[in-house]
Amino acid sequence: MPESITDSKPEKVVCGPGLRGILRHKQPNLYWIDSQQRRYVPSKGENVIGVVTAKSGDIFKVDIGGSEQASLSYLAFEGATKRNRPNVQVGDLVYSQLIVANKDMEPELVCIDSCGRANGLGVFGADGLLFKVSLGLVRRLLAPQSEIAKDLEKMFPFEMVVGMNGRVWVKAKTIQQTLIVANLLESCENMTAQQRQTLFRRVADGSI
Amino acid sequence: MEVCGSSNPTLREFGSEQNLLSRPDGSSSFVQGDTSVLAGVYGPAEVKVSKEIYDRATLEVVIQTKVGLPSVKERAREQCVRETCEAALLSTLNPRSSLTLILQVVHDDGSLLACFLNAACMALMDAGLPMSCLFAGVTCAIDGDGRIIIDPSAVQEKESRALMTFAIDSKERRVMMSSTKGSFTVHELHQCVAISQKASDNIFEFYRESVRRRYSKSV
Amino acid sequence: MRDTPLSNCERDFILKAIEEKRRLDGRQTYDYRNIKISFGTDYGCCFVDLGKTRVMAQVSCELITPKENRPNDGIMFFNIELSPMASPAFETGRQSELMVKLNRQLERCLRNSKCIDTESLCVVSGEKVWQIRVDVHLLNHDGNLMDATSIAAITALCHFRRPDVGIQGEDVTVYSTEERDPIPLSIYHMPISVSFSFFQQGTYLLVDPCDREERVMDGLLMIAMNKHREICSIQSSGGIMLLKDQVLRCSKIASVKVSEITELINRALENDKKVRKAGGRCGFAESMPQERITALKTHVSPLEMTDVEEKANEIVLRAEAPPQTVPSPVLPGPGTGQVGEGLQSSWGLEEEEEEEEEEEEEEEEQQHKAEEEVTCVAEEKRGVDVVLISDSDSEEEEVVILNQKALTKNATSSNQQMAVDSKLKRQRERQ
Repeated sequence: MPESITDSKPEKVVCGPGLRGILRHKQPNLYWIDSQQRRYVPSKGENVIGVVTAKSGDIFKVDIGGSEQASLSYLAFEGATKRNRPNVQVGDLVYSQLIVANKDMEPELVCIDSCGRANGLGVFGADGLLFKVSLGLVRRLLAPQSEIAKDLEKMFPFEMVVGMNGRVWVKAKTIQQTLIVANLLESCENMTAQQRQTLFRRVADGSI
Repeated sequence: MEVCGSSNPTLREFGSEQNLLSRPDGSSSFVQGDTSVLAGVYGPAEVKVSKEIYDRATLEVVIQTKVGLPSVKERAREQCVRETCEAALLSTLNPRSSLTLILQVVHDDGSLLACFLNAACMALMDAGLPMSCLFAGVTCAIDGDGRIIIDPSAVQEKESRALMTFAIDSKERRVMMSSTKGSFTVHELHQCVAISQKASDNIFEFYRESVRRRYSKSV
Repeated sequence: MRDTPLSNCERDFILKAIEEKRRLDGRQTYDYRNIKISFGTDYGCCFVDLGKTRVMAQVSCELITPKENRPNDGIMFFNIELSPMASPAFETGRQSELMVKLNRQLERCLRNSKCIDTESLCVVSGEKVWQIRVDVHLLNHDGNLMDATSIAAITALCHFRRPDVGIQGEDVTVYSTEERDPIPLSIYHMPISVSFSFFQQGTYLLVDPCDREERVMDGLLMIAMNKHREICSIQSSGGIMLLKDQVLRCSKIASVKVSEITELINRALENDKKVRKAGGRCGFAESMPQERITALKTHVSPLEMTDVEEKANEIVLRAEAPPQTVPSPVLPGPGTGQVGEGLQSSWGLEEEEEEEEEEEEEEEEQQHKAEEEVTCVAEEKRGVDVVLISDSDSEEEEVVILNQKALTKNATSSNQQMAVDSKLKRQRERQ
């Protein structure tokens, strides 16, 4: 989540607010401060993992870890119509995109893209494990060419869903492997790349 | 710890640990000499309708005493800390949400209010809440001979004629909050402010260093 | 605040994992998480870390009059504080069900098991006895609060020293720590609670459940036991049917765990005793992990104070001087007093002129104020675009602007000066 966006004019730079952490830069003109918060503040366009907490009328109430529950319409699923309602139960996980998120309004989610396709969004998580990590780690996981994800993939195949709200879901072939992946990811929080690779190698060798 | 005039006054050794509790969104411990405080922050989180403020976040500060229930003194200190935090936090960015700051006394050996402020600032930083500036708490005591003691211990506090705690902001070293006890002259007050501003430099340097250290591995 | 809801996915996974005899953090069925016991600076203060669960216990004492029916017995008082720090679901100042349950269990574990010799707490029969108060603060909730609480409470009680008392005739003197060495409590045995959680109607059992396991479990069995294998209390909750064998099996496991934990507590107490005897530093500051990157410590830092005196003087100089003469109070009539002359009633017609003048002044002031605000804002703007990571390093004094105004005002009459002063003062207060 970029906290600061620079203007294109080189002489005018807007920074802040709340700058504590590492200054990161992306070409051409994007700067942001990376920190390791745990609390999610919804931001438009981000993909998050939510837990359905209630069904009321035409919407689901979804907990996404922010200060307010988000709403998700029955119709915001692929192929959903007034008659054909999606099968979503309280407690289910939904991977969805925030289309409304600002400080003054209730956040709103959808599970379809602008063409009405699911495109990876929707209800998931029949098996597998959901756990929480810091928002900083999630951002590192989602960065293109993320080294953490690459290092993990070398060990054994697994499925992973990463929400910008700090929730990660993983599923490997066995429960044992799922647990290994989850615990490794949690321990990545404060490790240098080198430490991480040594740890992963030791796990792959079966010494832990 | 020591006395102004005869030799240079010193801050007791201080230290801090961030992110030490798993449940709160931000946590810290702050130790000044033997005085230590544990702080935890939750937020921006769901707010009760009765406490909701339409254009900014509701900040609650809770001080937990070590023995017994909190008294009026703790309530007054809660207010001091709350007002300082409110001045520093950009709470308009998260309207209709709640911020809760819990401060647990671990050991009181003087300068407790200053320690509360420092622990609070570290915890707010750990939680990554947007702030317009950081703040540091410094306590000064004036003893019977009119000498100024900075960061006094409990014994020194007891022997002192006057006691002042200031919250200093990191931007311009202004005084954000002051809480005093006892009587003193205007000149003494100014001296204490000047010393506290000086002392706050050390604390801000410490904040910087601990944040740098904390993020050293995720660069 | 509401707790994060538990998803069906987590629930199913935990249950499936338990069927396969696996736990979330890689423990075995009967494993405890890491237990760390550390002590505070004063006697009777103890921290217990049970995995991520963290509690703090503090023992204190007080001389009070005993209960009438037990004139020779000291009193034990337990108080568990569910600090909102431990979990967002905890609220301050509310007696929650969990708190009552934990408090009751701790009382049964430590008071009703008669592990502390309450008769030794009697000072003067029927008049003065010691009340031992145990405050337990929950700092971080990651499951199994009861075990952590019981370990912290009993360790703190073992660690505690009460002041010595001397009785001479009617007088009771309490000696301070410097005068006479404080006395430890006499403790017969150390009851420790061990929690078992049951899943699938009692088919599966786990020791020391973590938070997520506690949320999924069907029932809980808490056994408090000492190392002599005497059961001090048993509590089963959650409404599951347990078989006789299960309870017996649990008590066997508990006895093993209790002897391990007792050993750990004794080692920790011994360690602390050694450190204190050697005059080493102890307390929370010392138990802070130095090797973590989240922790940092400084040494005693001297402050360069050479220019403090100057700076203080500077502040004094820059601030406008207070009026030299304090106007003596005017007594317009008996029982009323008035300080200063500018506050005379301006309702009278003959003072119209003066009023106008004052209004002018007011306007002038307001203008200045506005100007000052503008400059302040400008300054802030300038500050903002410099600031990137740091919010510091700006050496500007806000007094500078005020000073200029004060100078221009110097020539005006003393009456006006006072008005300016109060204005400035108010302004500074606002800032």
